[in-house]
Amino acid sequence: MSGRRVAVPARPTRVVSLAPSLTEIVYALGAGERLVGVTEYCDYPKEATAKPKVGGIYTPNFEAILTLRPDLALATTEGNREEHVRGLAALGIPVYVVRPVDFATVLQSIERVGRLLGRQGEAAALAGSMRQEAEAIARAVEGVRRPRVLYVLWGNPLIVPGRDTLITDLIRRAGGESVTRDEPLAYPRFSVEEAMARQPERIVLAQHGEASVDERLREWQHLRLLPAVRQGRIHPIDGNLMHRPGPRILEGLRTLARLLHPEVPW
Amino acid sequence: MITRRQAFLGTGGVAVALAAVSAAALTLGAAPLTLSEVVSVLLGREAPELAATVVLGLRLPRILLAAVAGAGLTVAGVAFQALTRNPLADPAVLGVASGAAFGAVVGQLAGLEGSLLAAFGLSAVAFAGALVAAAAVYLIAAVGGRLPIQTLLLAGVITGLFFSAAITLIISLVDLARLGGILHWLMGSLGTLGYRPVGVMALGCAVGTGAVYAQARALNLLALGEESALQLGVEAERVKRVIFVAASLLTGVVVAHTGPIGFVGLIVPHAVRLAVGSDNRLLIPVAAGAGATFLVFADTLARVAVRPAELPVGVITAFCGAPFFVYLLRTRFRRGLA
Repeated sequence: MSGRRVAVPARPTRVVSLAPSLTEIVYALGAGERLVGVTEYCDYPKEATAKPKVGGIYTPNFEAILTLRPDLALATTEGNREEHVRGLAALGIPVYVVRPVDFATVLQSIERVGRLLGRQGEAAALAGSMRQEAEAIARAVEGVRRPRVLYVLWGNPLIVPGRDTLITDLIRRAGGESVTRDEPLAYPRFSVEEAMARQPERIVLAQHGEASVDERLREWQHLRLLPAVRQGRIHPIDGNLMHRPGPRILEGLRTLARLLHPEVPW
Repeated sequence: MITRRQAFLGTGGVAVALAAVSAAALTLGAAPLTLSEVVSVLLGREAPELAATVVLGLRLPRILLAAVAGAGLTVAGVAFQALTRNPLADPAVLGVASGAAFGAVVGQLAGLEGSLLAAFGLSAVAFAGALVAAAAVYLIAAVGGRLPIQTLLLAGVITGLFFSAAITLIISLVDLARLGGILHWLMGSLGTLGYRPVGVMALGCAVGTGAVYAQARALNLLALGEESALQLGVEAERVKRVIFVAASLLTGVVVAHTGPIGFVGLIVPHAVRLAVGSDNRLLIPVAAGAGATFLVFADTLARVAVRPAELPVGVITAFCGAPFFVYLLRTRFRRGLA
């Protein structure tokens, strides 16, 4: 769905965002007032929650979108469905699709959205500072031993990030090595036994919404055999900072680097 | 025997109901369109662009898809009920819908999406899945050429569970990113864009319904028992084969484009039998119209009940269908079946 050619108005003023990451990018570029519709999951920044809703990420409501008369819809390969992109295009709405699969392509999608909205300067500045800070983190963890990390997207069933995902890239940039980095699927359902066999030294639990952290930490306490559990190195992390390919992944990267390397003088 | 009056009232009544429900469905939705805007669009008069896009691009194709799917599933139900001489048979109960769903999931993962050719291909693999499932049920359940009720239902349940497990196997091996679409499809959805899927489905349903209707008289005679039917000149085996393939075709083309939607093929034929009797020559057309009406109604409810979100249409058909079926079971079948 990316790689299509789309005719986009020179300066779109009525933009619908089909994913929380895109909403965050548009706001970060100072163009939040041009958003006329967002998904039900767009909860950052706070102002976004006041925008008209166009349904979910997997389940956008076409009538609601058309009613808003958008001159541009923003979609992502990481979450939106191809048939919806095709559908909106068939209804005459230009849909621009970004494909952020690692840190570098997140920066790229910020720059592309910036160009679409006539905010090249802001986009270049934002992407530039994110790039710089990521490089600073890379320098700080250079030469430090890289711990084996088990990243838990979902606990039961266990779902982990595989090859070619943003999370795996962020773990590497934060100075760790994901024990599931070579899985061919992006987000495979994984065997707990196999995860244990790979002896993770750190377990990072993605938090989704308000769910109790303690409850999930307790579940993992049973696995005493794991070095990470023995040493009490199970860290919850805000999933929204790690899974939304927008400006806040830098915060996710920073948080993760500090969790993995408390010995580095940050 | 059907009188002209009965035939007229039955087909006329169901046509009026379908038109009324469809008209209401055209005016309901998340976009706030006025009645006069909708009417203007339909009459080809000047109308706001938004109204034209919503009515012609979204609501109308969806209503058509619901109508064709409802008719197809209902005729498939009538056909399976006549074939098995069992009022509980329908594509879902017999596991045939699961077989079709399995075929369609395989087809979707193989990339059958988008083009007209892909729409035909998807229908074909779903049809193949339905045929395999129906054949399995038949072979498991048949005892000396007859299909006893208990073994038939058990065979249907087993076949359905088997294909559900096969679908689960596939989706547990597939990437999460590709799963979203399939999971939504598996819940049953009539969301559609443009008229291509409707066209392909309508073609398949026309062939299937035509084939079933052509055997209406033979099915009436078969209902008296195979021996009597044979004595009256019905080639029972040939008729059964035709019905078997036609009902699988109907199930396959519908499931391919909507996902599995339960209860339609089970409850609509029963409701219609209460009204017009069980002569298949009248039952088949009236049930087709009633099934179309019911699914358009259910889908409209699914679209507007929690807008701007949508419910899977199967939730509505089950919430309407299950209580009605319990009612039938407690009042009608207790004497007839036990």
